[in-house]
Amino acid sequence: MSADEAATTIVGGLKQAGINLVVTLPDINLAQLLRAVEDDPDILHVPLCREEEGIGICAGAYLVGKKCAAIMQNGGFFNSNNAIVSTLLQYQIPLLLFIYYAGDIGDRTFSTSGSMTEPVLQALGVRYYVMRETSDAPELIKRAQILAEDAKRPVALLLTKEVLGRRAALKSL
Amino acid sequence: MKRYDCLRAVAPRFGDELVVTNLGAVRHEWQALRPHPGNYHLQNLGLTSSMALGLALALPHRKIVAFDGDGSLLLNLGSLATIANQHPTNLIHIVFDNECYESSRGAPTATAGQADLAAVARGCGFTHVVTAKTLAEFEEGFRRALKSNDLYFILAKVEAGAADVPAAALDSQENKYRFVRYIEQSENLKILTSTLSRASDPHAK
Repeated sequence: MSADEAATTIVGGLKQAGINLVVTLPDINLAQLLRAVEDDPDILHVPLCREEEGIGICAGAYLVGKKCAAIMQNGGFFNSNNAIVSTLLQYQIPLLLFIYYAGDIGDRTFSTSGSMTEPVLQALGVRYYVMRETSDAPELIKRAQILAEDAKRPVALLLTKEVLGRRAALKSL
Repeated sequence: MKRYDCLRAVAPRFGDELVVTNLGAVRHEWQALRPHPGNYHLQNLGLTSSMALGLALALPHRKIVAFDGDGSLLLNLGSLATIANQHPTNLIHIVFDNECYESSRGAPTATAGQADLAAVARGCGFTHVVTAKTLAEFEEGFRRALKSNDLYFILAKVEAGAADVPAAALDSQENKYRFVRYIEQSENLKILTSTLSRASDPHAK
């Protein structure tokens, strides 16, 4: 599957899950996905200067009825930790976090970021799922949104190169 | 000019505007002056402006007022660029600049040195920027902002110091539920999902 097709599938999943406001900060591996978000007329797209501000924007929008998602690299997730703690967890506000898994198995860069991503999510008590198959994405997004709303907490979906259509999927992973 | 005097001067002008307050004494001062379910008191330094942007984008027909501080905004300067680019015409971003981290025993912020947050806002693309050094200037700036249908940034240069008001007796969860229930009722929205499972189905035959 191409990165454009993967982006279309993931954005379709966002819309099926009712997501209508998305904040983003670019990563080269997220380029097609962010373009698909920007081009979708049903999604209000807010490009960020720093990921942490996006957590605040989504928290505010949630309080008045929007369903939100934040798309960022894991470096941006690290940037966002104080906001996740003092805005989302403190007030029990749900949010779908789409975190590009830089430093994933097979990457030649960012292995330190990769090694810290899941432990930090675990330390925050944020439940997360590693997405490997693009075809699973819509169902996984729907279920993650249900979990986030029910738990009133953030839920993270880790975007790998496979799910973004940037390398062949490995079923056994 | 004191922050509390600014708040007291404009409080009677508030109707159904939604308010986000910064971490620190401003929440207690504002809650004492305008106890209202449309007040959201953040327990975070930095995100007041971003939270207000989220409210403003999601409820474009409702006026949103942010009571921010210099230390908070300095932590999240990029939010000014994001806000200016989104240009929500229903947002009034007020910064009470006391040139210090008042809640942390008054260590100076960058605005005690060379930084001018009004110039930053202008540079980020805000077109309506007011610097108020007197109560009259603040009141006039706020009156204009409230009347207009455009984005405003008001920098209020204030002395350090908090008013002797009772602490806002409102915990985070309580504040959230009151705020969201008020929005649900005033905007006729269903925001909080309720659990579907129940021990028994009263309609079961």
